Amino acid sequence: MSAVASSRSGPRLRWLATPYAKWSVGLLLAIPFLLLLNDVRIEFVQPGLGLGPDPGEALVERLGTWSIRILYLTLLVSSVARVCKLPVLVQHRRTVGLWAFSYVVLHLAAYFSALAGFDLNTMFADFTKRPYIIVGLLALCLLLPLAITSTRGWQRRLGLNWKRLHRVVYVAAILALVHLWMQEKASFMDTALYGSVLLLLLVERVVDFTQRIRKRAAKTAASD
Amino acid sequence: MLIKNKNQIPASEVTPESVYLSRRKFIGQSSTAMIVGAAATPALALPSGWVEEQGYSEGEPIGEKITPEEIATRYNNFYEFGTGKEDPSKKAHVLTTDPWTIEVTGEVAKPGKLQIEDILKGIDLEERIYRLRCVEAWSMVVPWVGFPVKKVIDKFEPLGSAKYVKFTTLYRPKEMPGIRSIFSSVDFPYVEGLRLDEANHPLAIFAIGMYGKILPNQNGAPFRLVVPWKYGFKSIKSIVKIELTSRQPRTTWNRSAPHEYGFFANVNPSVDHPRWSQARERRLPTTIFGGTIDTKMFNGYDEVASLYEGMDLKRFY
Repeated sequence: MSAVASSRSGPRLRWLATPYAKWSVGLLLAIPFLLLLNDVRIEFVQPGLGLGPDPGEALVERLGTWSIRILYLTLLVSSVARVCKLPVLVQHRRTVGLWAFSYVVLHLAAYFSALAGFDLNTMFADFTKRPYIIVGLLALCLLLPLAITSTRGWQRRLGLNWKRLHRVVYVAAILALVHLWMQEKASFMDTALYGSVLLLLLVERVVDFTQRIRKRAAKTAASD
Repeated sequence: MLIKNKNQIPASEVTPESVYLSRRKFIGQSSTAMIVGAAATPALALPSGWVEEQGYSEGEPIGEKITPEEIATRYNNFYEFGTGKEDPSKKAHVLTTDPWTIEVTGEVAKPGKLQIEDILKGIDLEERIYRLRCVEAWSMVVPWVGFPVKKVIDKFEPLGSAKYVKFTTLYRPKEMPGIRSIFSSVDFPYVEGLRLDEANHPLAIFAIGMYGKILPNQNGAPFRLVVPWKYGFKSIKSIVKIELTSRQPRTTWNRSAPHEYGFFANVNPSVDHPRWSQARERRLPTTIFGGTIDTKMFNGYDEVASLYEGMDLKRFY
């Protein structure tokens, strides 16, 4: 029985630990960007066909949507690793997280170009007066140190503090949701959708945390 | 079994014969289509080709490029069909616009319910090339076909007590998926309003067509308002009720977010929306490198300024 089980999951698990898997994850997350790039190309050849009549708005929105999706995917990796007992998945969290950060940066860059038209006055007014832009910018600022300290070297240098620092991702995840919610006009569908996903991810963490505390208590009770 | 009512007025008497005949032709075509493709083609209040047949006086060019028709008919806000810009063009085709009754009530001497064909009787169609500025900071230039609002309202003889006009959009959940959405924070039916003197301004029109054809459903078929000096949401679509009132009506967006959308909603570059600037606009189609233009007071229609003399437009936004 156990031999059958291991022959089924064994090779698959091993593959997940290879550099091929790392490359595959990276390439997979590049797909939305490449598709968008292709639409931008079409937009140049035949205006209106690639991104619609308001291509700037569409570009910023699509990059924003992928930012929040991949950011939440980063959190999902740890959950799935725990729930499905596949710790090997955690190896890929950095790739996913760095892609999330890349989409956030591209989202901001698209805003600079397409919506603000690189006009400093517009940007200054937006960064000081528009609450949803401030919230979005704040989320990006919180993600920046996480992206910088994502390397193995920083992980070693920071030790236990690395984990503490990277908990900031939860604040960024909530801010991203608030950023989305503040722009909703008449429908709360997206906020409800992404909000429920985030809620599930947080609930999983709370459950995991209480389970670990209980286990620790049981251990100390057994050793007494 | 066929039940015949003796008092029924034959359609040929209410509708000009040419319209009646072309509609017969249309119905014939659509029923053939239904048999062949099994696709439900809803009946149209005004048969396609009606505007061309009626003829209209051509609009004066405004020296700005007209927005391509495929953009004006594909990029729409019509939340009854969904909040996405392309939802209306994808979903509004199921809307039945025949028969289309418009009720005129309130402070009028001659209230009544009329078929759209009767309302249009004896009214000359004109083309008006207008800028359309959305509160979301994008804009278009659209050639509408219609007639002044005043021409219709006067038919019902407003009383001296009438100070405002309240317009209501069709409410038909069966054909309007946006109404059924549980995530919607907007109350339907959609209601908009104008002060009577605003409605009587020669620039305010009811449109039944655009680009020389009858209105596509996503653009507010068969009968909509166009008030070019106000943000687009004031130009209510698919109207079924016009009520003259003595009090300012409570309008949909104003109720949903009063600090964001005022009753007047005049285009005003110096009064920002709380979430974005209104100083500039993206004239569609834009490029990914910005391409914004300055927004003008009253959307460039200075002739309406006298309507608001002595009013603080920062307060009455």
